[in-house]
Amino acid sequence: MNGVRVGNRIIGADAPVTIGWENIPRVEGGPFKRAFFTWFQPASLLALLAFWYYAPNSIATASTAIAIGIGFKALLLALEWVNPRYDSWRLTWKEAATDMFYVGIAYTLVRMVSDYIGSDAIIEAVQQSFHWEKLGWFTGLPLLVQALLISLIFDFGQYWMHRGMHNWYPLWLPHSVHHYITQLNINKGEVGNPVEIFLIGLGIGGFFDFLPRAVLLAGTFGLAVGIYQHINVRFNTPAWWRFMFNTTEHHSLHHSQDYEATRSNYAGTWIIIDRMFGTCIDGEAELLGMEGGRRMSIREQMTYTFTEGWKAAKQRLSQGPAAVPAE
Amino acid sequence: MGMFDWIWHIKGDLALAPGVSSGEAFHRLDPLFRTTGTTWRAEGDTLAFEKKDPAAQDRLSVFDRGVIRVEQGATGLVLRYRLTSKALLACFLAPLLFLALAQANVLLGRFDQTPATEQAKDKPKAKIALNPIDKMLGAPEPDAAKAKDMDDGEDGKKHSPTPGYVFAGIFVALYAVGRVLEDRLVRSLFARRLAAA
Repeated sequence: MNGVRVGNRIIGADAPVTIGWENIPRVEGGPFKRAFFTWFQPASLLALLAFWYYAPNSIATASTAIAIGIGFKALLLALEWVNPRYDSWRLTWKEAATDMFYVGIAYTLVRMVSDYIGSDAIIEAVQQSFHWEKLGWFTGLPLLVQALLISLIFDFGQYWMHRGMHNWYPLWLPHSVHHYITQLNINKGEVGNPVEIFLIGLGIGGFFDFLPRAVLLAGTFGLAVGIYQHINVRFNTPAWWRFMFNTTEHHSLHHSQDYEATRSNYAGTWIIIDRMFGTCIDGEAELLGMEGGRRMSIREQMTYTFTEGWKAAKQRLSQGPAAVPAE
Repeated sequence: MGMFDWIWHIKGDLALAPGVSSGEAFHRLDPLFRTTGTTWRAEGDTLAFEKKDPAAQDRLSVFDRGVIRVEQGATGLVLRYRLTSKALLACFLAPLLFLALAQANVLLGRFDQTPATEQAKDKPKAKIALNPIDKMLGAPEPDAAKAKDMDDGEDGKKHSPTPGYVFAGIFVALYAVGRVLEDRLVRSLFARRLAAA
């Protein structure tokens, strides 16, 4: 396989990938279907932003956000059924049940741990120790500016954490198992070792004070943009959206079986951060995963991080300063 | 164990068309076993298979092993199958895990009596004013009494057992769907393969 030169790198030398928007297939079907899958993403983002902007205080609550999140995910699952990107990514019962297990763990176990040692808990402790007040002047900014700041600050942190995971072995260990997924579906973002799900949730947003409504508006970027990282739907995503936001195309490339392609598109929501740091590649891939697409069981996903870490630590410790090469 | 077997085993039988021998039946099912991570062996009237890390799109991915036998029935040869699924067993047991996590949250809630909300109450609430741009666009004024950190989760409650209960319920539903669906799917899959000449 020859691959394609993108900047200084050759992408697609190990496994097939598609590079360049002009080579990405378009939605097929009648005019209604094509219009629907062209405008669905921007229309739902605008609708959700308008909802959170104007909803009365009694409705603009975290409970409503959870309900909308569940409803929106159910809708996207239906879209996966109607217009799949790849038939080879079809959701089966086993995939759905497996994904749901990881979602459940993220909402229960990871959340329990985060309450004690998550970034918000640590920041609160730091603020109390040093008698720091939150940076309160943010609450005077326009709501959408606050929302953009929250989203960008969090995503900026997530970008570097994710990039770190791909470049530093101790962080790669918890993240590596997430790269054993062989297809993208709505809940695949939660598939992985709980340690990784905890790490990727760390952020510095707790240092700042924002209006609750701005937090809800910021969450909309995650729900109506970030969620498309892992989705099996073919969209005719508008060019401005693909320039600014992460898409399933970008993220499929990040999950491809091609090593160089995986070292790209690290941001969660704002692909523009990847463009800033030169790690963005526009394209997509169908063949995903590691070790030629071996699907990892839940048990291995839970233990691999620690067993491989133990092996690496033992090897490191057993290697003396003057190691003798094996004959 | 016999009375609980149905939880993670799927059994069934299909009548073979006249003239179809056990060898021919296994030959027709053969493509189903030529998949990644599958080992299988056919001896006489019995075929046994095992799967390790099957691909997501493997038609039999939900099963870890199975035995398929061709036997003489009342009206002709019958293909009987008995398939084992750890995925179904795990899904059946998953509600227990999530109920345990919910209870752990209840316990943590009892031990963790440092009410962040009370601390917040002590502090005088500063009046929060909307930016003039938002006022002009008609966004509702923030409710000072309710303005609080969103960090504390749903309605400011930490250690809520609700997600645990919800996921326990989801897995009960998922198990019920999976037990019926996978039974039907494998039956129709075998029937279609056996009908294909």
